[in-house]
Amino acid sequence: MTDLKKLYPCGKVGRRRFLYQTAGGFLGTAISSLFAAENDAGGKLSAARLPGEPKAKSVIYLFMCGGVSHIDTFDPKDNKFAGKLMDAVGFGDNLAEMKRPVIPCLRTFKQYGQSGIPVSDWFPNIGGVIDDIAVVRSMYCHQTNHFPAVLEHATGKPLRQFEHPSLGSWINYALGTANKDLPAFVNIGRPSSPVQLTGGYLGASYAATPFQSGDVPIPDLLPPSSASRAERDRQMQLLSELNRQFRDDYALESDIAARVKAYELAANMMLKAPAIVSFDKEPDHVKEMYGIGEKETDDFGRQLLLARRLVENNVRFIQICHAGGGNGSWDAHDDMRTHGPLCRAIDKPIAGLIKDLKQRGMLDSTLVVFTSEFGRTPWSQNTKGRDHNGLGFSSWLAGGGVKGGIVEGATDEVGYKAVESPHYISDLQSTVLNQLGLNYKKMDFVLNGRPFHLVEEGGGPITKILS
Amino acid sequence: MLSKPLTVLVTVALILSAQTPPPAKPPASVRKPAAAPAKPAPKPTAKPALPAATSAKDDEKFAQRIAKLWSLQPVSKPEVPQGVTASTNPIDAFIADKWREKGLKPVGPADKATLLRRVTYSLTGLPPTPAEQDAFLADASPDAFHKVVDRLLASDQHGVRWARHWLDVLRYTDADAGMPAANGIYYWRDWVISALNKDMPYDEFVRAQLLGSRYKEHTTVTATGYRVRVPGPQEDTFALGFLSRASLTGDDKEQELSLNTVETVSTAFMGMTVGCAKCHDHKFDPIRQRDFYAMKAIFDPLVVKTVPLATPAEIFLNGKLVEEYRKKKEPVDAAIEKMIAAYRERLYAERVAELPTDVQAVIKKAERLRTPAEQKIADDYYPILRIDPSKIKEVMSPEEVKAYNALIKQQNDLPKPPGLASFVTVEEDSERLKQTTYILDTGDPAHPMKDKPVQPGFPFQSSSVDFREGRREGFADWLTANDNPLFARVAVNRIWAWHFGEGLHRNTSDFGVLGSTPTNQKLLDYLAAEFVAHNYNMKWLHRLIVTSDTYKLASQADPAITAANIQADARNSYLWHFRLERLDAEPIWDTILSMAGDLDDTVGGKSFSILKPDPKRKDPPSTDPTNRRAAYMRRGYIPSTDVMANFLQVWDVDDGRTPCPIRTQTVTAPQALFSMNDELVEKETARFADRVLKEANGDVKSAVTLAFRYAVGRAPAASEMDRALTYLDSSPDRMKGFSWLLVNLDEFIFVR
Repeated sequence: MTDLKKLYPCGKVGRRRFLYQTAGGFLGTAISSLFAAENDAGGKLSAARLPGEPKAKSVIYLFMCGGVSHIDTFDPKDNKFAGKLMDAVGFGDNLAEMKRPVIPCLRTFKQYGQSGIPVSDWFPNIGGVIDDIAVVRSMYCHQTNHFPAVLEHATGKPLRQFEHPSLGSWINYALGTANKDLPAFVNIGRPSSPVQLTGGYLGASYAATPFQSGDVPIPDLLPPSSASRAERDRQMQLLSELNRQFRDDYALESDIAARVKAYELAANMMLKAPAIVSFDKEPDHVKEMYGIGEKETDDFGRQLLLARRLVENNVRFIQICHAGGGNGSWDAHDDMRTHGPLCRAIDKPIAGLIKDLKQRGMLDSTLVVFTSEFGRTPWSQNTKGRDHNGLGFSSWLAGGGVKGGIVEGATDEVGYKAVESPHYISDLQSTVLNQLGLNYKKMDFVLNGRPFHLVEEGGGPITKILS
Repeated sequence: MLSKPLTVLVTVALILSAQTPPPAKPPASVRKPAAAPAKPAPKPTAKPALPAATSAKDDEKFAQRIAKLWSLQPVSKPEVPQGVTASTNPIDAFIADKWREKGLKPVGPADKATLLRRVTYSLTGLPPTPAEQDAFLADASPDAFHKVVDRLLASDQHGVRWARHWLDVLRYTDADAGMPAANGIYYWRDWVISALNKDMPYDEFVRAQLLGSRYKEHTTVTATGYRVRVPGPQEDTFALGFLSRASLTGDDKEQELSLNTVETVSTAFMGMTVGCAKCHDHKFDPIRQRDFYAMKAIFDPLVVKTVPLATPAEIFLNGKLVEEYRKKKEPVDAAIEKMIAAYRERLYAERVAELPTDVQAVIKKAERLRTPAEQKIADDYYPILRIDPSKIKEVMSPEEVKAYNALIKQQNDLPKPPGLASFVTVEEDSERLKQTTYILDTGDPAHPMKDKPVQPGFPFQSSSVDFREGRREGFADWLTANDNPLFARVAVNRIWAWHFGEGLHRNTSDFGVLGSTPTNQKLLDYLAAEFVAHNYNMKWLHRLIVTSDTYKLASQADPAITAANIQADARNSYLWHFRLERLDAEPIWDTILSMAGDLDDTVGGKSFSILKPDPKRKDPPSTDPTNRRAAYMRRGYIPSTDVMANFLQVWDVDDGRTPCPIRTQTVTAPQALFSMNDELVEKETARFADRVLKEANGDVKSAVTLAFRYAVGRAPAASEMDRALTYLDSSPDRMKGFSWLLVNLDEFIFVR
């Protein structure tokens, strides 16, 4: 057998790489990239590795589509301003200046754990694990409407001048895959926008692979019911015999080597993935921790349990989008009470995930992030709900080398603007990268002669919450 | 249709002019740019520091860039090298000259069966039928291959295949977020198919997509001495789908139509990536920020417009149906209204009463009396003042809710008359024509730089431009001029790349500094010059390319030749063998269906979807037949729901949001999963097995031969036949399993 590398030092492989990069990466080709034909196990950005062992091996990134109200969850405010008019700016394309009435927060807050961090009555279970959580109360972004803010969040760029890649695909690009039977970047749940999945100019091979929770996480994973296993074995035998001549004829083509590998991987997937996604071997008390089997929490609980199983199988970045599609269901303009069912749907599963990771000794190496594209205003549009607020909102992190039970930063006394240690949205991304052992400053991709970075603004990793 | 965009536009313009006083006291503390807390307001991206009027030094720098860039130098037809080949096809002479120069040794020609399969996929995207194979293999005449090429180029399926190539570059899509042209956009796709089938010259092909039927309009003098305008062919209006597709909102608030069009036109037809110049002068290419916006000004006056396509009889019939529907619906509507009117008024009044008094005053004013700033306030409060049925239901009694729901069901159950066919085109808006185009700060339409107005124009053009006939006319004249050095070069290179998998200039959409230089510029220039001389005839170019000896080379390189060539040309840039190419998504789909005898190759029509309906939405399952060519398979992108079938995604089809110059050709596990497990494969291979058995009158051996010929265009070798027969074990039942296997063969998805 001829040594391919020697013969084709920059042959077809190079050309395909080149095409990925010029044709750009789009959602349209996301699934096809499940396994890049090239061996990416080592990642593309070895120069961006930080010295030492990374704190986190995997990230579970929980994205609440539409904007969670920080004031009603993790950032309690005195109701003394309720009913007063304050200066406000309308959102989106209508930047009219106006006075808007501050509305009261109807939640009650309780101090939890040793840290005594207050959490609202919407999240009693998350309150129970607050000592593992670092709440950042001073996040901000520039955009004020959903799509631009989601874009800013996912790509670190408030405008879409180029096909910028998302956080997950940057990680995929930089680190490669740690399990050749599974993709490095998985998305579960409908996102607010496909930009949360895109590989952009890094190439489609780094985009998210959408997984569904259920028996068939990816399309065509299982043979049709009419196919018989014994017959398949015979067919595969003949297939390899009939392929032999062609594969000999084109032994120097990397496409053919990739084809061999593709069938091997497909076969591995068919064998292994169903077991990875199956909850059959999960004991009832574990399922119960995630709220599986209860009406309100079943969906999200299943997604989180699947995420834990993917972490166990070394998937690097698992993004879970909750209540996505359109503006996202967290978009509570009319009535804050619409947050209620959403909070109930995620509270128990999230607390269950953190407890489960901890009892398995996995929390130290798994970073859990909770965020949405922005928060909500202290005032209403003369409703019982709250408007979009990018000027100040809360995100939180747990595990993966993050200190638990601390609060970082603060908003002003009504909860409108981040005033103490403000963190631009990209600080969340650089923190994630830092914990994965990546130097965000050295992660670049040269497009049209200009280097682009995921993080081009902000103060870098939120060091105060890191252990 | 038109009045609405205009009002919005005028409003926006007034707002932008910032001369209208705010209604109440402006709160000084809340200007938007100061939004970022405790930090100086950061700008989204690097701020361009470019004056609209550039300095003389700058002018010189860009003039030098133009003088240095190979693709901007005039095309001069090179002499055909002599004495390097026995072939009379000039392509072979240029290629052989490179072999000589680089010391390369070519492989021999491909066999006839391989060549037939290659050229049939190349020109029509379909596999050759056994009958076509028989005819070609039996034809020993010297022009046997030419006859095949003529047959394929005359086939209607040729346009179906090549339209797909062009539409990839031109960003065709059936759906894009909010795209007003979505309904009827396929008429543009069908126009492209038709234009290619009737061999429309390339320059007209491009002009029609910029100008519609006006590209052929001319003035004539009648017998009685009157000058009259003769309009162009009406069907060419459908070509304007190219422009209307770019719009993403009815009122084009974000100016996507012109911004997207500049990028697509320059990428597709000029091979220039101008995206960088949206924010700053191009760092390497001779394109300034001013040039980008000068091109944008050409398309800025355009607005989308819906054109009905129904016949008068259909319109009358539809009117009747609508009237009948209305008569049935009216009493239901009235009953609903009666139930909710009082509630709505009450809730509305309550809501209004909650507002600050100055806002109340604005809301209570009649719309025509509001100032634009007041209207802005009213618009901002619209979502809050809108009283939806859900809010009304909250205050109704349970019995009322029940009665209300019953009425709504009754209303929904009335069969609605089908809509009339229509097409969304573009037209120049006289108001917009009067407006000035500005350079946009960081490309953001909300931030025009008022001190930097630009005139319509285009890159590389310092002298005055003739826009007397109209902006697009002037632009199209410049773009398609015979002496535009980019126009023909970019086109012939694309066509070459779609035949060979790679262009003579590798980066088919970047003829700029970073796109590198062609591997064989002489051949590229020769073809460009001849393309112009042959009146941009695309079928002529196809014929010249596929009948060359270069195209007919084998794809397989034996070790001795490979060893000899590997030093000089490891990546086969100089085509000493034909490149092995993976089939695109569409030919794979078409082949699986055609093998089974199930492919409906009717040309044109509505796109079909194979997506299962989203269970969360209540769309009825599509009843459109799905056994058509995959060129008609629905593609695109909508944020809230899936548009692209998994099949298209797995086989590397883009969603049409950016120009795709050449498909990525991945070889991946999900493709293997499709070939092994998808229900299409399961179903069609069963039908394929029945078909070959039937055509072979039940004889298993003949059936195997036939199956090979349908699937990979050749008869099996003796050893392959032995193995197949061992597997089949004389059992026709196993034929299905064997058919499945053929679809999973490497040879099935590669063109050798």
